[in-house]
Parts: sequence; C-alpha cells; structure tokens
Amino acid sequence: MYEMSFDPSDADLVLRIAQGHDPEAESEVCRRMGPRIRLYGLRHLRDHAAAEDLMQQVLIVVLQALRTGSLREPDKLASFVLGTSRMTILEIRRGSQRREKLLEQWGPEALAPSSTWVPRLDHDRLHGCVQGLKERERWVIVMSFYDEKTSIDVAQFLGVSEANVRVIRHRAIHLLRRCMGESE
Amino acid sequence: MSCAHPIDAAILADYWLAALPSSEEESVEQHLVACGQCSARLAEVVALVEGIRTVARDANLLMTLSDEFLKRSAQSGLRIRQYAPSVGGSVECTVSVEDDMLIGRLAADLSSEKQVDLALCNQDGVEYARIADVPFLPQPTEVLFQQPIEFAKGAPSQTMIARLLGHDESGAERLIGEYTFIHTRTIPGPAAF
Repeated sequence: MYEMSFDPSDADLVLRIAQGHDPEAESEVCRRMGPRIRLYGLRHLRDHAAAEDLMQQVLIVVLQALRTGSLREPDKLASFVLGTSRMTILEIRRGSQRREKLLEQWGPEALAPSSTWVPRLDHDRLHGCVQGLKERERWVIVMSFYDEKTSIDVAQFLGVSEANVRVIRHRAIHLLRRCMGESE
Repeated sequence: MSCAHPIDAAILADYWLAALPSSEEESVEQHLVACGQCSARLAEVVALVEGIRTVARDANLLMTLSDEFLKRSAQSGLRIRQYAPSVGGSVECTVSVEDDMLIGRLAADLSSEKQVDLALCNQDGVEYARIADVPFLPQPTEVLFQQPIEFAKGAPSQTMIARLLGHDESGAERLIGEYTFIHTRTIPGPAAF
C-alpha cells in the first residue's frame, strides 16, 4: 500500500486500475469524479437523494469498466463518466431497478467520495447581500432561483428583453459572489 | 491543477437554471466533468442558489412583490397577512407568531409613471428606507411590498408611513400616494428597540 503523493492524471488512474487490484487509484477516481457526478445529477434530477444515488450507480459502472480495461482511451475518463451519467439518468427516468442489484453487489460505503458536497454559506451575510442589490436585480434572482421563472417570464414581468434579464442576472450573481467574498 | 479556461460563475448559474442553449450546455457539461476547479465553482454557485432560495423563503427581505408571487406563496401553504390602506389613509395592523409573510398593498394609478420609488418613513415623516425603481407591469393599480417578517414580529407598537414617489422629466420627485400603517405589537416583547 502507498499514499497518493502526487496528483495523477485521469489516464494514469485508468491505466493503474486496468493493471490490477489498486484500491488507492479506485478511491481517487471516486474522490475526483463523485462530486462532479453528484452535481450533474442534482442539476438534472433536482433532488439531493437522487443525485446521491446517481453518483453511486455511475461510479459502480465506471469502476467495473476500468477494472476490466473496457475504456480503450485512458484519457477519455471524463467523457466516459459524462456518457455513463447521461445513460444512467435515462435509466432512472425509466424506473430501472438496477441500482438495488448493484448496491447489493458492491455496498454503498465503497462508493462514497471523500470530498465535500455543496459548501455552506453564511445565511445572515447572504441576506445582507441580497438586500443590498438593486430592486430589479433582487426581483430577477428571486424570480429565477426561488420562483423558478424562465427568463421569458421574468422579461415579460419586468417589461424588458430576455437578453436584458440575462445581463441583470449575471450582474447580480457577480455582485453576490463578491459580497460573499468569493473569487470571480 | 489550474483551469486554463474557467467558466464564469454567471454562466454556471445559467447552466443550473437550464437557461443555456443546448450546444453551450453540452460543452459546459463536458468541461465540468473534466475540470475539478470549475466543478468546485459550480458547487459554490449551487450553494449560492440554495442560499437565495432560503433567504427568499424566509420572507425577511424588504422588497416589492408581484401579486402572482403572493398567490403562489399562499398556495404553498405560507400564511400571509396583508394590509391595504387607501391613498392618504391609514390602517391599524399587527402581526402574529403564526404569520409567514407581511404585505402592504398600496393602491395607485401608475400608468403614466416612468419610475416609481417606495419610501418608508417613521411617524414624523423621516425616511429610513427606500426601494428605488420599483418594477411594475403596464397599467398597474397597486404596489405590493413585503415587510421583513422577523423584524415586524419583534417591532414595538409604532407608525410607519409608506410613500410612493414618481419622478418627472427633470428628475424631481413627486408624491403619488401616502399610506399610514399603525402597528400594534401583539407578540410579547420590549416596548421599544
């Protein structure tokens, strides 16, 4: 056993896993790709638990493929992960029961990535930042992110163009990130 | 490893809203799965979006709202207390611990207005807060504004005057309407801030 003392490329990891039993490399793939898959899942499924499930299912499929050397181009790991994520979401939407079978075989603990999920924000500070926006900026972000209105709906409501809504939303996002002390 | 072509946070917000053209969404997704730095930035944007939802849901923002927004909030089960004084008139008001939102409805004909501000004043008429350039639909008949609910629950009995102000061609302010809210505290607490 050895520690990962450097930042191996995706291709390095793929090759190592294909060469034989390498739990460290597999763990690194999970640590690296897990959060990305989970965000992809949350974006498309809009549900934290479903995103978590997606991450586990995709990591199972990816690790299986890597162990058997099925990924012919080692530098295409990200594309393979994305393609597998897309296929898995289609399966989830078809109501596939595959997850249960796979989890029975692999166990959920083996597939948990070690890195963080969505960072926590200082709620009071964010409240102050949102309150500090101009009224139209506040309307756009509240209507877009809370009320889940499309840009077209927001544009009609504010009597501006859709492009203008996008500009206002972008400005508001940048202002909020700056106010929260996040880098651009 | 540092990203050579980091994706702007506002583009990531558009991605999260599914507001990107499909070709752009495709390339953003490919980049995100391959790039830890941009994926981490997306996680920050997601946290920001979730934080905005919480802040909006808490109903502690001083802001104007649409009637449609209010109806949806009511449908979602929020308990909304509303007061609608007439122009130049006053209304006795309060707030209870069960209330989720506190709304003032200010009737006014804004059809000829280009820009309208909402000024909040104390009982002596001294302005302490202003919402500039209130969005309104064509042919509006009222402006709805939200008083931060936690502030209202903790507020002592006091009088607040809301003023709708228009702007003429030269930029000078003009009073459109004045509305007085006489708040009586019904939740136990100190008599003054």
